[in-house]
Amino acid sequence: MSILYFSVAATLLALAGCSAPNPRVETRLNANAALTGDIPVDPLQWRVITSGVDPRNSTMFTLFGNDAAIQYSRISTARNYPGGAVLALVTWQQQEDSRWYGGKIPAQLKSVELVDVRASDDGRLLNLYRAYEGSPLRETTRLKSQADGRPTYLFSLRAAVMP
Amino acid sequence: MIVRTIAGLALVFLLLQLVRPKLTNPPATADFEAPADVKEILRKACYACHSNETRLSWFDEIVPAYQLVASDVKRGRMVLNFSELGAQPKARRNAVLFEAVSQIQMGAMPLSRYTRLHPEAVVTPGELAALRDYILPVPPARPTAQLDIEAADAQYRQWIAGASTSHPVQAAPNGIAFLPGYKNWRAISSTDRTDTNTLKMILANDVAIRAIAEHKINPWPNGTVFAKVSWMRQPDENGGIRTGKFEQVAFMIKNSEKYASTAGWGWAQWMGAELKPFGIDANFARECVACHLPLRKNDYVFTAPIAAARGPA
Ligand code: HEC
Ligand code: HEC
Repeated sequence: MSILYFSVAATLLALAGCSAPNPRVETRLNANAALTGDIPVDPLQWRVITSGVDPRNSTMFTLFGNDAAIQYSRISTARNYPGGAVLALVTWQQQEDSRWYGGKIPAQLKSVELVDVRASDDGRLLNLYRAYEGSPLRETTRLKSQADGRPTYLFSLRAAVMP
Repeated sequence: MIVRTIAGLALVFLLLQLVRPKLTNPPATADFEAPADVKEILRKACYACHSNETRLSWFDEIVPAYQLVASDVKRGRMVLNFSELGAQPKARRNAVLFEAVSQIQMGAMPLSRYTRLHPEAVVTPGELAALRDYILPVPPARPTAQLDIEAADAQYRQWIAGASTSHPVQAAPNGIAFLPGYKNWRAISSTDRTDTNTLKMILANDVAIRAIAEHKINPWPNGTVFAKVSWMRQPDENGGIRTGKFEQVAFMIKNSEKYASTAGWGWAQWMGAELKPFGIDANFARECVACHLPLRKNDYVFTAPIAAARGPA
């Protein structure tokens, strides 16, 4: 009889399913990666142009665009964004995905760079560049940054194919 | 009276023993090869259900425990059989090991209903570290072949010209129609997957974005849709990685009633810029659910969405 008892008890125990919660699978938001701080726009409300990784610095980025930028990036292979287009390059520190070994996801927010393409009165286009760093973000735009080639770099990131 | 009841129960119990699904050990044709210590860990923790070398304890042999074990072994062998893994290409073997480590880390494997009776099968933190070390260093970003770069360029030009997809896009084998609007949804996260050499973007529709702003993401409300877009990792000229060739887009559509049989989500995936539906028949969704299963207490969702900075727009 003890075997019967053991077998039934073991089966019930097995079916009961009382396992300790595993912190890796608990519901949570990724708060570290949130875009908090002193920034005039929220690129996370915009659409995605493309993304990438800098393995040397263990960072990853997503390039967002406002409507004018998105519209242009998806119909033109050139890099002459029209007046009114705004691009936002958001960069995060990478960290291992606790739920998938071999995957890395955005962790601490590092920076947001904005390029605002503006048409001047005489019709010429100006690229207004602004940089924000840290978490929370603080504006760190330096005057020389225009010459840094960052706007050109942002323009050079072509749209990821999304059929 | 009591004696008769007990005798009756015993008889039922003995008869039950005759109801036994057959469980055999086919030859281990192509056993997975690994250093002895790694092999030993997998052998003690996983081989009972994921190999052709199943060894049962005496108490596993008793119905009804036997029924449970036999069905676990059958399903376990179907999704992963170390005795046949040796014959698989290296990329597939690697992917399996990454998945195995993930399943152990999330506490999904070995099955807890098994370790409660076989505590020796539990993978200790030390053993887990050994497995992680064995598959590390994560395969370095495979240099993308020139052919892949050319294919990515051609794909991009076609897409810009509006000529990449032959419309209309065919529905998935479970009847789910393609959702072309995904490319206009908001990003909630991204992943850099060195195990599969891909970059991914996780996009979500308005219902999901509202749920994130309200912190109501378990369960996700009906109407939530996620799209996971995958591209090849493509090195650029400065040592960075960019999105290369578009590989696929996968969807999860929440409707707890309509999709009750597949964990409350409708699953669908389209491959390549020509958007070919993934899966031979509706059963393909089982594969999706099985891999998302360790997250069942998180409504089957892997992604931890980036918190909203300033509430809904
Ligand atoms: C008692 C049997 C049992 C043991 C022991 C066990 N598994 Fe499993 N495993 C299963 C079953 C059954 C499934 C099928 C999915 C399900 O229904 O839960 C599975 C599925 C899997 C999957 C595939 C998930 C998918 O995508 O389909 C992986 C990977 C896996 N197991 C790894 C392991 C590893 C690694 C170990 C050892 C550390 C292990 N399992 C031990 C029964 C077992
Ligand atoms: C081998 C494991 C595996 C299988 C099989 C799998 N997924 Fe996933 N899925 C993941 C992982 C891991 C993530 C997290 C993002 C990432 O790193 O890729 C994910 C994320 C997703 C997401 C984004 C929402 C979320 O859960 O984070 C969607 C949508 C998705 N998968 C759809 C599918 C569909 C559809 C299928 C079947 C055709 C499928 N998946 C099969 C592992 C898997």
